[in-house]
Amino acid sequence: MPDTNKMVRNELVKEFSSFLPADSIIADAETQKPYECDGLSAYCEMPLLVVLPSTIEQVEKIVTICHHRKVPIVARGAGTSLCAGAMPNEQGVLLGLAKFNKILEIDADARTARVQPGVTNLSISQAVRDLGLYYAPDPSSQIACTIGGNVAENSGGVHCLKYGLTVHNILELKMITAQGEFLTIGSQALDTPGLDLLALMTGSEGLLGIMVEITVKLLPTPENARVVMAGFDSVIQAGDAVRDIIANGIIPAGLEMMDHLAITASEDFAHAGYPTQSHALLLCELDGTDAEVDAYITRIENIFKKQGATTIKVSQNEAERVLFWKGRKSAFPAIGRLSPDYYCMDGSIPRSQISHVLSKIASLAQRYGLRVANVFHAGDGNLHPLILYDAGVPGELERTEQLGGEILELCVEAGGCITGEHGVGIEKIRQMPAQFSDQEIKQFMVIKDAFDPLGLLNPGKGIPTLKQCQEYRALNREHSHDHGHEAHAHD
Amino acid sequence: MTDISAQLIAQVLDARSQKTPLKIVGGNSKAGVLARDVIGTPLNIKQHQGIVSHDPTELVLTVRAGTTLDEIEAVLEEQGQMLPFEPPHLGTGATIGGTLACNLSGPVRPYAGSIRDMALGVRLINGQAQHLRFGGEVMKNVAGYDVTRLQAGALGSLGVLTEVSLKLLPRPAQTMTLTYELPQNEAIKKITALTNSAQAVSGAAWSTGVLYMRLSGTSEGVAATHKLWGGEILPSNSSFWDDLREQKATFFSGDDPLWRFSIKPTVPALLDTDDMLVDWGGGQRWLRGDFELADLEKLAIKASGHVTLFKGGDRQAEVRPALSNTHKTLHKRLKQAFDPDGILNPGSLYGWM
Amino acid sequence: MKTKLAPRFAGTKLADEAQSILRSCVHCGFCNATCPTYQELNDERDGPRGRIYLIKQLFEGADVTSATRTHLDRCLTCRSCETTCPSGVQYGRLIDMARGVMEHELPRSPGQRAIRWGLRKTLPNATLFGALLRIGQSVRPMMPPALKNKIPPRQISPRQHKRSDTHKRVMLLLEGCAQPSATPNTNAAVTRVLDRLGISLIAPAKAGCCGAVSYHLGAHDEGLDHMRANIDAWWPDIENGAEAIVISASGCGTMIKEYGHLLKDDPIYAQKATRVSDLAKDIAEILANEPLDRLKLRPTGKKIAVHTPCTLQHGQAQPDLISNILKRSGFELLLTSENHLCCGSAGTYSILQPTLAKRLLKRKINALEGQKPDVIATANIGCQLHLQTGTKTPIVHWIELIDQVIEI
Repeated sequence: MPDTNKMVRNELVKEFSSFLPADSIIADAETQKPYECDGLSAYCEMPLLVVLPSTIEQVEKIVTICHHRKVPIVARGAGTSLCAGAMPNEQGVLLGLAKFNKILEIDADARTARVQPGVTNLSISQAVRDLGLYYAPDPSSQIACTIGGNVAENSGGVHCLKYGLTVHNILELKMITAQGEFLTIGSQALDTPGLDLLALMTGSEGLLGIMVEITVKLLPTPENARVVMAGFDSVIQAGDAVRDIIANGIIPAGLEMMDHLAITASEDFAHAGYPTQSHALLLCELDGTDAEVDAYITRIENIFKKQGATTIKVSQNEAERVLFWKGRKSAFPAIGRLSPDYYCMDGSIPRSQISHVLSKIASLAQRYGLRVANVFHAGDGNLHPLILYDAGVPGELERTEQLGGEILELCVEAGGCITGEHGVGIEKIRQMPAQFSDQEIKQFMVIKDAFDPLGLLNPGKGIPTLKQCQEYRALNREHSHDHGHEAHAHD
Repeated sequence: MTDISAQLIAQVLDARSQKTPLKIVGGNSKAGVLARDVIGTPLNIKQHQGIVSHDPTELVLTVRAGTTLDEIEAVLEEQGQMLPFEPPHLGTGATIGGTLACNLSGPVRPYAGSIRDMALGVRLINGQAQHLRFGGEVMKNVAGYDVTRLQAGALGSLGVLTEVSLKLLPRPAQTMTLTYELPQNEAIKKITALTNSAQAVSGAAWSTGVLYMRLSGTSEGVAATHKLWGGEILPSNSSFWDDLREQKATFFSGDDPLWRFSIKPTVPALLDTDDMLVDWGGGQRWLRGDFELADLEKLAIKASGHVTLFKGGDRQAEVRPALSNTHKTLHKRLKQAFDPDGILNPGSLYGWM
Repeated sequence: MKTKLAPRFAGTKLADEAQSILRSCVHCGFCNATCPTYQELNDERDGPRGRIYLIKQLFEGADVTSATRTHLDRCLTCRSCETTCPSGVQYGRLIDMARGVMEHELPRSPGQRAIRWGLRKTLPNATLFGALLRIGQSVRPMMPPALKNKIPPRQISPRQHKRSDTHKRVMLLLEGCAQPSATPNTNAAVTRVLDRLGISLIAPAKAGCCGAVSYHLGAHDEGLDHMRANIDAWWPDIENGAEAIVISASGCGTMIKEYGHLLKDDPIYAQKATRVSDLAKDIAEILANEPLDRLKLRPTGKKIAVHTPCTLQHGQAQPDLISNILKRSGFELLLTSENHLCCGSAGTYSILQPTLAKRLLKRKINALEGQKPDVIATANIGCQLHLQTGTKTPIVHWIELIDQVIEI
């Protein structure tokens, strides 16, 4: 570490010590190490300093001091990001919000909960279960990921097909601006006067402000919810079944697909009774009143049969429904049983392109000599190809990144985007120019500027520099992107 | 079906070089509604119209901003689909671009979402005459900031919308409205109680002593809820919901200023008068008459919400409540970020932006 | 996760095993969500994922100091993380290995060493522990409440009934080290219940501590010696056809089930150790497969909250066994929350990490007493004694509940 950094760190420690307990300031490299990455351990950087505040006033002070000293800040919740969104900055403070783990207020009548950002997604639903309510967005990491991180990434989950993403399920945010000012955006009502900053903050990856409180909407628990599980001999058949469900005017509560590799790995952990001989598995959840669910299940079973499902199972009780989902929700880490490392992509495509894109991915994987497992939100067209690799083998990460890049570009070509719910972070920043022109990137930059003119919040993430864009375009001249307008803008 | 984006870009470029403000106009159905009066050269997007893409199996629609709601709704109806947010037209020739800019959604809004919620992507011309695309045609897209939803309710202050992609939904098989004679506060309590169980509610409104609960879903689901809830069935030829959405009900007639409260839905009656109209399950409440914005805002704050002068009154003064200094600074900076010369619908939201 | 062993570890069996465990972790962070210390401290360093990272650093050859040890010491080894981990990371094994290496490479202060030595020498020694406990019990009435809490009052066995020692079916019984003096009722109940089911128990005098205290304190060789001694003590009866080794303290059971793995490189004991591990059964596993209707149970109307010890639910992957048996036997079980969390006892943890142990105890008692139970049932002496220091509700081994309602 350069001496100037050490000096800054020592001074910060001194200032922070006046209002933070000693064990909330982590300044030694030895125990800072576990903070060097989030859920994507392929990208690491040691922070200058880690702080773990527990009150809004402490956050305000930390941000004010950092703003004054022009020290970058990276906010972190549970560190489950899959895009290195919470990877530290070596010149900056890593602001851990895990101690903000209280549910502050539940309003059962208005169906809202006011929570701190470090509360885990699942614990909200657990806290309101006895009231017959739940919080709908359920990212697969919901057991561990925090609601603050969910807002920062606009997380989805298996139930957002019907109930929307985080942006659809929050009402109000309290945040600290880059200048250390306290700000409330959104409200307890359904809209606010002025610009919709709530939408802008959601999915902004910690680049526009530090969230310190969130009011989420809650939904009444459906009278009934059941999952139809079907195995198919090919992903094409399963993909066609997905298309047929939507075309028949059915919006299931969740509609998920897994391929053979993912099925076997998940089954090994969850013992959910997945058909391990199948090449594709669909999980389709229907919810509503008893009468509605029964009617839907018959229709879904018929669609599955028509598309040649080899096995069909319907969950018979709540425990079985949860078990069916357990395998799906653990699918990413369960891949750890097949491979020491995986690289999780998050491309989003039109549903009609699923079969086409999956077969293209398979041939790309073959060309790179890497295995790819597919787990994804079929109903939303949100793919999660997991590239299996071994970081211990020299060059394998680089090949994986290249394959990943090609998969994302494939998604953009198919009319989709590079990230559906995981965020850009560091991981997909190189592919941003595949989706956006320089002018569009520039527009993002001035938005960032409006909130954080010094560029202190989560620098280097989310939005590439114009230089990164130029490098990308130079490398990919042959893949000029099809936006219907000039990609190389001159400003 | 015409694409006049080149012409629109040229007009913005021209306005920019001459530093003359533009007043964006679509179907002109929202004149005198929601926004402050804008003074500027009209920039007419009405001709920029047509459906760009619509694959019925995708439940996604991309249309040019000048396309009328009438045209879109006719096409969707043929496919058994609909705009999930039940947009109020508020006049003839209403366009999808104007609907998004005003963030207008009908009585279904608390249950199915608003146009802001259903917006997947936009193309817009910013104040530098750059034609930009944000979001896309897929259900989930978190690359870059959510510029798409930022346009909802921005009243054209950040860009000239040229194209909008929206999520669609299948039309429900069955719709039924149940009515209950109840005073306002009892009605609000009943809405809370009824909607706390998972039934297929698609509207909850109260007007002149009657609570209207609309159900939409499968015929099995609607029948089961009716059995559970009881209540009088409103004849299916009743125009209640249309009149509410389109502000054609008697409550809306005349020239008195129309105030819109957007508040926490469970809050009891705001004023000691039954002469208010309750929509959005209690979250949107209408009031007529000559009031001071500041006075009503005090009521709105107590109800955890805000109030706007929706229609009529003095539209050269501010029509929505003042923002905090931090908010004001951010708003100015964002305006500057999209429209550095302040030529796009200046003053539509606030006089100072 | 990518790991590169330091040259000084390269090629050792221990480090190879550590590396393969480290590589199986994909860093998802699910484990933190169910880790008691992460829940309390909200610091990455005090959750399994962070500790795995610290351990990785150790095996990769970084200079590791007492700062790392502080966080490893705070781990309860409850292995809740293993139940949660979709990737199948054997965390408990990994932290045991790391603790062993650290005890060796980074000696503790003399005071700390003395305390640990003392624990290793007293707890596993049934005679010594018993003698000390009896002294404690005799002066207990005169002690201040804080200290009094730590010493369980003398148990008087509530029931006696004749039993036969001559059944055809024979099993070995692990007497345990603290159990005979602190909670003699437990094994008395085990003996009576199994007698009713036609099973005789034998407990060879030479068998002693299972080895867990030493092993989990990082004194691996000492722990392995305890294991070998037990194998020697049990072997003749195993050869004579004892069908199982019955254990009524799930902490010991978990350890004995690992003998096979821990002694796999011992040329003399490897095979025998595997056999012993295969025969090791918690009393709950035994009862689960016996016809309980033969016991003629007459349950009382007592409302029971169950605390399944971590060693049983996570270590032996049997989260529902006790509850199922009690339900089958007609008892009324109450709903409890945060069932996956450790009570803070965790072997010697309550002695070595009193502050955290107390916080966890309070949390656990709240979680267990939500519906006001008449009695709390558990399956491990450590949990039983520790829980009792936090509540007036009686804490018993569940087998005593069964024993009490057998119609004589």
